[in-house]
Amino acid sequence: MLLHELLRNSAHKYPSKTAVVYQKERVTYLELDKRSDHCAHVLLDAGIRKGNRVALFLDNSVDYLVAYFGILKSGGVVVPLNTQFVHRELESLLDDFTPRFVITDTAHRPAFKGLIDPKFLLDTGNFIHEDSPFRVQAPDISLKDLAMIIYTSGTTGKPKGVMLSHENLFSNAASIVEYLHLKHSDSIMVILPFYYSYGNSLLTTHIKVGATLVIDNRFIFPNVVLDLMEKEQVTGFAGVPSHFAILLRKSALRKYNLPKLRYVTQAGGGMPASMIEEFTQAMPHVKFFVMYGQTEASARLTYLNPAFLKEKLGSIGKAIPGVQIRVLNEQGVEVEAGQIGEMVARGRNVMLGYWNAPEETANVLRKEGLWTGDLAKVDEEGFIYMVSRKKEMIKSGANRISPLEIEDVVSRMPGVMECAAIGIPDEILGEAIKLCVVKNGIPFSENDLLLFCKKNLAAFKMPRVVEFVESLPKTSTGKIKRSELVGKA
Amino acid sequence: MAAMNEADIRKKLREFIKNNFLLGNDANLTDDDSFMGKGIVDSTGILEVVSFVEDNFGFKLPDEDLMPENLDSINNLVKYVTARTSAQ
Repeated sequence: MLLHELLRNSAHKYPSKTAVVYQKERVTYLELDKRSDHCAHVLLDAGIRKGNRVALFLDNSVDYLVAYFGILKSGGVVVPLNTQFVHRELESLLDDFTPRFVITDTAHRPAFKGLIDPKFLLDTGNFIHEDSPFRVQAPDISLKDLAMIIYTSGTTGKPKGVMLSHENLFSNAASIVEYLHLKHSDSIMVILPFYYSYGNSLLTTHIKVGATLVIDNRFIFPNVVLDLMEKEQVTGFAGVPSHFAILLRKSALRKYNLPKLRYVTQAGGGMPASMIEEFTQAMPHVKFFVMYGQTEASARLTYLNPAFLKEKLGSIGKAIPGVQIRVLNEQGVEVEAGQIGEMVARGRNVMLGYWNAPEETANVLRKEGLWTGDLAKVDEEGFIYMVSRKKEMIKSGANRISPLEIEDVVSRMPGVMECAAIGIPDEILGEAIKLCVVKNGIPFSENDLLLFCKKNLAAFKMPRVVEFVESLPKTSTGKIKRSELVGKA
Repeated sequence: MAAMNEADIRKKLREFIKNNFLLGNDANLTDDDSFMGKGIVDSTGILEVVSFVEDNFGFKLPDEDLMPENLDSINNLVKYVTARTSAQ
């Protein structure tokens, strides 16, 4: 099924069911379908053609969903962008995927000043029209056609656009629905941004089954979210380890009564086993799903069945339905149980490739399948345990950050001779960013450096700790020995 | 700890927000601005605010008080801290 047909289908089956709750809005499936039809009309009238990329620069909201499905119905490709991106980051991305249109709102519009002709900058205000006079005749789109490009941090420092087809996203949604046993009676608390693949998978799965998305972007105050979970009687919650850390350490979680909460899912990096145990003790009636995936797989690759949570604590489980995972050595041969190798995935959810990056695509999409870059071992019963990431990435909260990108930016500051960004342990975020800087003689302060970072990097890429050092440890070939810096941190 | 008046509390809180989240420049922050709305603090930032309040005003914030009406602007913070300190 095409991605936008998920909405059409649910609107047909459950027209008056609430599809989304956001602030004071409660929007039914029928309304969402109609409003996205209208959005598609606006785009078609404006001249969109099949395969045109449309940037979506919005926080989670009803408007996001309207635009998301509107773009797909018009034959366009959704390219959601992190709304924290600053001018420099947006400029580089727009240059890469050359959007036909950008959809944003009044609050975020200034970010595009000087980057795009205003006539191609569409405001969500254009789509407020509940009674579309006619239904959209979808262009001729096939399952293999591109539906989304989701940017993810690249190991080279340049973000990579992961190309996902309708088939990729639909098949992954179907698998997730199957193992989470999602039904139209479910409702999920959405705090993860839709512009990341984990958040996007909440959108596709719940729209697929006619369930309700309860959106709140104020997790910064977790009690506000817990209030809403209680009020809306949500049945599901999805988070990354830092969300669970905040719920356990910095919220009144234990004082809430959430009898309808059926399950929680956790992905986005390994969560300490002790924290999983703590959560399950605080919420003994709630099933805890540990999951693993990557954007290149449309979101999800494995999950640990909660029935095995105690017995296999620390495992990321087994492949989800419709996916095959093997752990291979560098020669592409499957390793024996207990041996370390790289996880390689096959399935209809595996991406088409990276946008405009055939070499990077060829590096990871090989005859064996998608080489994930993640090292793991498998036990005798087939449960997978992740060992480490082959790629040097900092995982901070829900974000994957390339140290090279930060270093590339900071190195441009006058006064900086060289620098290295590393992840340091952080109780809440998992990792925070530390920057080690070597000066070249031109004086500047830590504050000057942070101001420079603020101008050029999204807030989640800002260093938390800065250390000025005499030199950086290097290999014989001149490469920075990041591991040595991490050891010292 | 000597009792602080509201003006002192305000000054101390603004100084903290300015130096920790605004890199020393608070010209664009009014006392009513929402930290969340303006994107000034994130999840860990708000925890730094909590630690600062606890360390400097001599009381512990119960988990249930971690709400926007207590913490999400200079004015809300001042109101909350003033109420808590005068109740001591």
